[in-house]
Amino acid sequence: MDLPSQVWVQAIANGLALGWLYVLMALGLTLILSIMGILQLAHGEVYMIGAYVTYYCCVSFGVNLYVAMFISMVVMAVFGILMEKFLFRPVQTQILPPIVISLGLTLILMSSAVVGFGLYERSIPRLAQGSFVFLGSAVPKDRIIAVGFAVALLLLLYLFLKKSKYGQAMVASAQSREGALLRGINPNLMSSMAMAIGCALAAAAGTLAGSILMLTPSMGTFPLLKGLVIIVLGGMGSLLGAAIGGIFLGLIDGVVPVAFEPAVASLAPLIIVILILLVRPQGLFGHE
Amino acid sequence: MSRKLLINILSIVFLAAVIIALPIMLGSVYWTSVLVIIWINILLVSSLRTLKLLGHISLGHVGFSLIGAYGSALLVMKVGLSFWISIFLGGLMAAVIALALAYPFLRVKGIYFVLLTLLTAETFRLIAWHWPSLTGGFWGLLQIPSPNPITVPVIGTITFDSVNSYYYLTAVIVSLSLFVLYRLERSRLGFKWRVIQDTEVLAQSVGINVMWHKMLNFAIASFFAGIAGALFAHYQHALSPDSTARFGVLMSIYLLVYMVVGGEARFAGPIIGTVVLTVVSELARGLGEYKPMMIGAIAIITMLLMPEGLVGLPNRVKLWYRKLLKPKREMQGSA
Repeated sequence: MDLPSQVWVQAIANGLALGWLYVLMALGLTLILSIMGILQLAHGEVYMIGAYVTYYCCVSFGVNLYVAMFISMVVMAVFGILMEKFLFRPVQTQILPPIVISLGLTLILMSSAVVGFGLYERSIPRLAQGSFVFLGSAVPKDRIIAVGFAVALLLLLYLFLKKSKYGQAMVASAQSREGALLRGINPNLMSSMAMAIGCALAAAAGTLAGSILMLTPSMGTFPLLKGLVIIVLGGMGSLLGAAIGGIFLGLIDGVVPVAFEPAVASLAPLIIVILILLVRPQGLFGHE
Repeated sequence: MSRKLLINILSIVFLAAVIIALPIMLGSVYWTSVLVIIWINILLVSSLRTLKLLGHISLGHVGFSLIGAYGSALLVMKVGLSFWISIFLGGLMAAVIALALAYPFLRVKGIYFVLLTLLTAETFRLIAWHWPSLTGGFWGLLQIPSPNPITVPVIGTITFDSVNSYYYLTAVIVSLSLFVLYRLERSRLGFKWRVIQDTEVLAQSVGINVMWHKMLNFAIASFFAGIAGALFAHYQHALSPDSTARFGVLMSIYLLVYMVVGGEARFAGPIIGTVVLTVVSELARGLGEYKPMMIGAIAIITMLLMPEGLVGLPNRVKLWYRKLLKPKREMQGSA
């Protein structure tokens, strides 16, 4: 196709920026999945409410955007701990009940948002104004900052899991719940931590997305789906897989709609997932 | 034996009488149209439970329903087929697509199946949204004709334009489908499905082709989802690929909630769950945007307090009753 190169650079930059936000979602989902063994389908709603918390802190109380984002992460982490304790812990070992509970939560949180926040679109203040020129095309600064935040959070999580005692305990618990228990690691504490970290990451992703895109009560569905695709692509429980899968998916999302018709483009994620599952059922970086 | 048979026949006759009499008794177009949707949803939820027989939880059943709906509607509108053929072909299309997707989907761990079906349904919906030349795009597919009239020797010509006649049509097709699903579950095939769900390795070692049976299960469930979709299309005369409409994620959530609130262990569970929850949410119409909240709360409470669903209620009541009676008996025994 004869599109100017600026269009491609723009598409790739957009895709990468959103891709990193999806990585934050996927990391939370995969942490919860590997440690608690449950599929947290209300994660998109945590993302949405996290964005709204930042919005209200910023717009109604005039808090600095970065402080507001931190507040939102803490609030959602506490929310996550409460969810884990009262809703998911009683049904942890089964398959169907946690899925239904997380779907019930989705319904409750989404309709609460419709009632409480209203259906009209809002926007968190931009992270930065203006843009700078890269390879002859304008890349907005706020996207670069969003990517920076996402990468920083990913690195922090990596350091936490690799270097700290609690992080190592979480990795052990994800590898073998019983083995970790034998070594005196409290599985309930690990579940709480996984949920808290996952929800905080979702809140951060929601805030960053809310400053680039719009806030609506239904904004969580799309990133949830993206996060789930990334988990399948990258392999369950693999941080590296999630990061690479996210960038990969972001690139596809950025480039494919420019290159193909929208109907074909919407088919792309499914086809890629199927192809990868045919070659490697455990995902790109997963292990059995 | 004969007495049991008699009771069975009598209860079926009674049930059929109620089903036939309901729209006349209610006498309102509104409630009859609710009943039509209940019938269609019963078929969807029951076929969802067919997947659950193998331990598979699908959040993409509406996707296959969409295939059946658009497939049947387009076959009638663009190719000019009769409804009576197109509804079957709609189901068949859903089954074929399911069969094609089944191999990569069923090779991975169970929890992936949830993600993959969710992704599939959203993909189908987005294709319908982005393909205006075929599906009408986001405006939706409009002016889908009613089923062709049929001529029965004794009664004469029957048309399906009114809600009442469509109710009977849906009742017949869904009842037949439910009968097929019920027989399948009790057949040798259903027995093998249960074996696979219990112990997959053992099933394989006694010579059951596990993959093929899983694929067949997925295709059959999708076939009936497609039939339900086609019934919906020719009833509503319009289809929309919007996320808040019939084929969005929310509908998938509702279907799963209907199943577990009714109780997925028994065949009657999906039927009871769909009827009870639809009637409850129709009665709670005044709640407006709080309604999803109520359904969500019902789902969570059911899972935490009564995980076997409404079909487990009689047993539970029996248990409570015994607990209440027990101390008395002990007192009698000691005295």
